[in-house]
Amino acid sequence: MRLVLACCLWASPALADTDALLDRLILPGVAGFAQAAQALDDAAADACQPATLSPSWNTTFDAWLEIAHLRIGPQEQAALTIAFWPDERGSGRRSLARMIAEQDPMGVHPDEIAGISAAARGIFALETLLFDPAFNRYDSDSYTCSLVATLAGDLARQARDLATDWTTFAEALRHPGAAGNAQFLSSAEVQRALFTQLHGGIEFIADQRLGRPLGDGRGRPLRAESWRSGRSLRNVTLSVQAVGRMAEALADAPVPRLQAAVATALYFSGSIADPGFQDVDTPQGHLRLESLQGRVRAINTVLTEEIGEAMGLAPGFNSLDGD
Amino acid sequence: MPSRRALLAGLVATALPRPSWAEVGAPRWLACAQEPDRGHALFGLREDGTDAFRLPLPARGHAGAAHPRRAEAVVFARRPGRFALVIDCRDGRRLHHLAPPEGMQFNGHGAFDAAGDLLVTVEQRADDSEGFLGLWDARYRRLGQVPTAGLGPHEVLRLPGDVFAVANGGIATDPEDRTKLNLPEMAPSLAYLQDGVLRETVTLPADLHQASIRHLACQGGTLAMALQWEGPADRLVPLLALHRRGEPPRLASAPAPEQALMQGYAGSVAISGDEVAITSPRGGRMHRFAPDGAFLGATLRADICGLAPCPGGFLTTDGLGGVLRIRDGVAQPLALAPRAWDNHLVTL
Repeated sequence: MRLVLACCLWASPALADTDALLDRLILPGVAGFAQAAQALDDAAADACQPATLSPSWNTTFDAWLEIAHLRIGPQEQAALTIAFWPDERGSGRRSLARMIAEQDPMGVHPDEIAGISAAARGIFALETLLFDPAFNRYDSDSYTCSLVATLAGDLARQARDLATDWTTFAEALRHPGAAGNAQFLSSAEVQRALFTQLHGGIEFIADQRLGRPLGDGRGRPLRAESWRSGRSLRNVTLSVQAVGRMAEALADAPVPRLQAAVATALYFSGSIADPGFQDVDTPQGHLRLESLQGRVRAINTVLTEEIGEAMGLAPGFNSLDGD
Repeated sequence: MPSRRALLAGLVATALPRPSWAEVGAPRWLACAQEPDRGHALFGLREDGTDAFRLPLPARGHAGAAHPRRAEAVVFARRPGRFALVIDCRDGRRLHHLAPPEGMQFNGHGAFDAAGDLLVTVEQRADDSEGFLGLWDARYRRLGQVPTAGLGPHEVLRLPGDVFAVANGGIATDPEDRTKLNLPEMAPSLAYLQDGVLRETVTLPADLHQASIRHLACQGGTLAMALQWEGPADRLVPLLALHRRGEPPRLASAPAPEQALMQGYAGSVAISGDEVAITSPRGGRMHRFAPDGAFLGATLRADICGLAPCPGGFLTTDGLGGVLRIRDGVAQPLALAPRAWDNHLVTL
């Protein structure tokens, strides 16, 4: 595949619609995430109990998944503190436990919360506090309660900053080669960068969201994303749909094969019995998740053939070839 | 059929005038690239980013070394390095075809001594990855080899006084498929050699033994090492180490979230004025540091790798064909050519 792509490296690219992608999906997506995070923050200011907050936390996570696959511009760094996953060594959980045990003042101070470790911030830190039985039984006047409210405020601020920074970065994408814009020198480079986001997004779903719980032949249920909140499958389906929509917008031409590949993956997701992938250590559960993974991978094949090659795109020359 | 002049030049290696770099368009840098037809070529780049020359190559190459005076470049074949070509930069003619002795492989880098009478090539013994510098005379005849005191050596750099600094990457590789064989026990080092004798070796702190030392740059008494992390992907480690002879190395890193975006990989390093820079093609960014290791900032550019000092800052090349001049972290495009630049720039 790499060689096939390389030969079309400088073929004249099909037009891709950067403006449509930005105006119809990316900018509304980041604005929607900021809005959802603000609603979570507002709710947390009133009441910090898990039962009250989990609906708006779920809405915030849903909104994040509309844009979560974008690792470009301001979101390159922001993604690390908004959604720190996978957390290989459970450092988020450990940091939160330490902060609670020590009643660390940083954890309840809005101006200092950004100084704590990335793993102890954002969507996944809130998931631990709201859904992990080792954390989520706290009183409304407890340290943990204030920590939840402070983390919700931190997340809302990050989402707001992200939306602001995206409006600036969008101009760099819209005007490649403009004075002061050496990150993108041509529209082909912008298309390549955006396409890479979509391709990387599908890869992340297949390799991480599905690959981690699938493990090395033996299922590893506790490595699933968001298993405590039971939304591992929802993360996969929402993210697949979001990438599919962005690919359609970017292509600026009918992409029937891509639509079919997305539909097939979503159909296979219907066979998953446990929305938190906790049955992946059973033969049946493992098999079904693996089938879904195959269907998700197939999206990337189509993405490359139907959109990437039409744009004359090739993977990086140096980044793929270590020296 | 060698010309009379070439024949004579072969007999009296350095006494006769041979084409100088000025005669081939006065390039300041050399770089290899892949072109749209997937062919490869060696380019000379002028200070303003324009091409001084273009010479077709038979395969993907690494612009390994440039003769200090004559317009001759040594281009190494990609791994496993079975040959290197000495190219006449006037016309692309292959003056010599260098092959390492049986059982040895070139590792993609080399350097001339200051006079241009000695070429050293970085080599590893195929069966155990033990490092050597191959020695070649002014007519590119093999003189012998000296050990580099480490495994999997990568870049060699000539320092003042014909001291050669060698980055022993520390990685033992399978001679055929280049599988990495010793990651849990790897022990990279920096070696200084003079007159074929090991003068000093430098190692990083023990918890960084999986940071492969691969590329080097030097200015004044400071040697900069670009590192590639082979340890657990979720551990954030420095990718730049600075060394002065006789002192312990100093590590340099960006703040955590920015450092993470380098993907544990620095592909080239350069020093210019009072800034040290490393590039990460995987992270699509260049990091700049002060001489004391303080982080100065990131400059973003996809697939950026080639890096060299230029007046007032750095010159970079990337896989998208860009040639950028970066001053105070601000990038100005000098050229966008239809070619993918290879990993390195060789400064003349």
